[in-house]
Amino acid sequence: MTRNILSRDRLLGLVPYAFVAVPMAYLGVFMFWPLGRQMWMSFTDTRLMNPNKGDFIGLANYAELITDSQFYTSLHVTILYTLLTVIFGVALGTISALAMDRPFKGRSIVRAILLFGWAVPNVAATLIWLWIYNGPSGVANEIVQFLGFDRIQWLTSMNWALPSIMIVTVWQVAPFVMLVMLAALQSVPEEVREAARIDGADALNVFRNVTLPHVLPTMQLVSLLVAVWSIRRFEIIYLLTGGGPIGSTSTLVVQIRLTAFEDYDLGLASAYGAVGLALALLVAAVHFVFERRRAKVMSK
Amino acid sequence: MRTNPLFAVLRVCLILVLVVFAGFPIYWMASTALNVNSQLYNTGQVPWPQLSNLPELLEELAAVPILRWLVNTGLIAAGTTVLSLTLGSILGYALSRFKFHGRGLIGFLLFMTQVIPEALLVVPLYAMFISLGLLNSLWGLVLANVGFSLPVAAFILKGAMDAIPYEIEESAIIDNCPRMGILSFIVFPLIAPSLAAAAVISFFAGWNEFLFAATFLMDRDLWPTSVGLASFIGQYETPLSAVMGAALVFSLPAVAFFLLVQRKIVAGLTSGAVKG
Repeated sequence: MTRNILSRDRLLGLVPYAFVAVPMAYLGVFMFWPLGRQMWMSFTDTRLMNPNKGDFIGLANYAELITDSQFYTSLHVTILYTLLTVIFGVALGTISALAMDRPFKGRSIVRAILLFGWAVPNVAATLIWLWIYNGPSGVANEIVQFLGFDRIQWLTSMNWALPSIMIVTVWQVAPFVMLVMLAALQSVPEEVREAARIDGADALNVFRNVTLPHVLPTMQLVSLLVAVWSIRRFEIIYLLTGGGPIGSTSTLVVQIRLTAFEDYDLGLASAYGAVGLALALLVAAVHFVFERRRAKVMSK
Repeated sequence: MRTNPLFAVLRVCLILVLVVFAGFPIYWMASTALNVNSQLYNTGQVPWPQLSNLPELLEELAAVPILRWLVNTGLIAAGTTVLSLTLGSILGYALSRFKFHGRGLIGFLLFMTQVIPEALLVVPLYAMFISLGLLNSLWGLVLANVGFSLPVAAFILKGAMDAIPYEIEESAIIDNCPRMGILSFIVFPLIAPSLAAAAVISFFAGWNEFLFAATFLMDRDLWPTSVGLASFIGQYETPLSAVMGAALVFSLPAVAFFLLVQRKIVAGLTSGAVKG
């Protein structure tokens, strides 16, 4: 009898793994195995013509990477693009959330409109922005001209291609930030704000000392998300500029595509990918260090 | 509470600017779709949508294989949803209800999937699909998409299940109801709103996906709308108004459903990153 109960317990202990097995095996096959293969490819001379075959060549791809001036351009563009989209996206999203925090007539309609950029599929968003930015007939240049400035080569000039892409990105990302920050703002307990006001704090003081500390963790979290998305983002950039002009908007992720499918060099493409992944992991790690530090402070 | 009148005016102005920035591109998409093509390039675009051009737009759209693309898109999206929810609910249930070794590791791996750029998986998946005969097949595409949407579904459903008291299930366990039965008949009805949110996210992840579809599908008849629309870029045979009309048709379902479940989506995406 005793043995029977023991084995029953042991069997029950396996129940969680029975649940987890199939989904995790799935991710193993379709996420982590390909990821591992891609990382391995960065140490081989695999070509697109024969993607299942390649010889080990050690660090040669990485050696090629650090002598390639495009690599430094890509690294620079990725970091710049990520930083600026986080700053502008989070700032605009937070400002929107602050403006939308208190009820007013028509708020739900305004809220719906503000979310458009986030809800529209990437390819559709790209098509409309391509038309807005169009050189001779686009409305962006009409507006610029109306304001008394010279026409701009939005997507084809070295100076404007990246800012143009960033405008589209902020248009897409700020609504999401707004949604998240709005939820955070509305969870600030009204009694605490009220108490501060009774103590004589003005609006700015209440914001700085009550509201801001309450929503800061959320702001950090959403910054992490926006940063990781910026490092990952492919479609918008690839379809708007194709990484050009002269590679000036080719982030690491776009460079994976160009190296693999235009130069057929899967080894070098994988090396670009490895650097991109490392960058994304670094951002995530920084976030978790902050998170843990805050958890410690909170528990004291 | 009294409000500073200057502050109130500034707030209204700010909201107006935000509405214009956020809404204008969509407005412009509709306006362009309802312009005659010769206006767009020669006499200049009429800034307001001209509904009288609707019959012409429909005629132009009929010349584009938009229906075929939408059917393919729908199939990919539906497949992605079914598979993501099936696997995601099982995984979410396990993470919510059981304490076991490796639980933290699984949470970490799920978080990792949200950091990996899709572009990084294109080539290995391509090579794998060649061997498995899944290249140029909607099925292969679904399998690739689910890798990214399954973890999100699992996070959302785990969060929802955490909010349900375990006692409800315990009575069923005592009555010897199998776990899968509990999941389908007791847990699912209680988390219906979250299931709907997870379904919308997975569906539109599949609906919007471009990179995998553009790489894995060679056959034009299999193209989803995203790939079909992208093929218009740099090509001037199709009238621009038809391109914008197709883009609008493609966007409307996504916008409608995202607006419907916006709050749930935010809760799901952020909880995944917090609890990692």
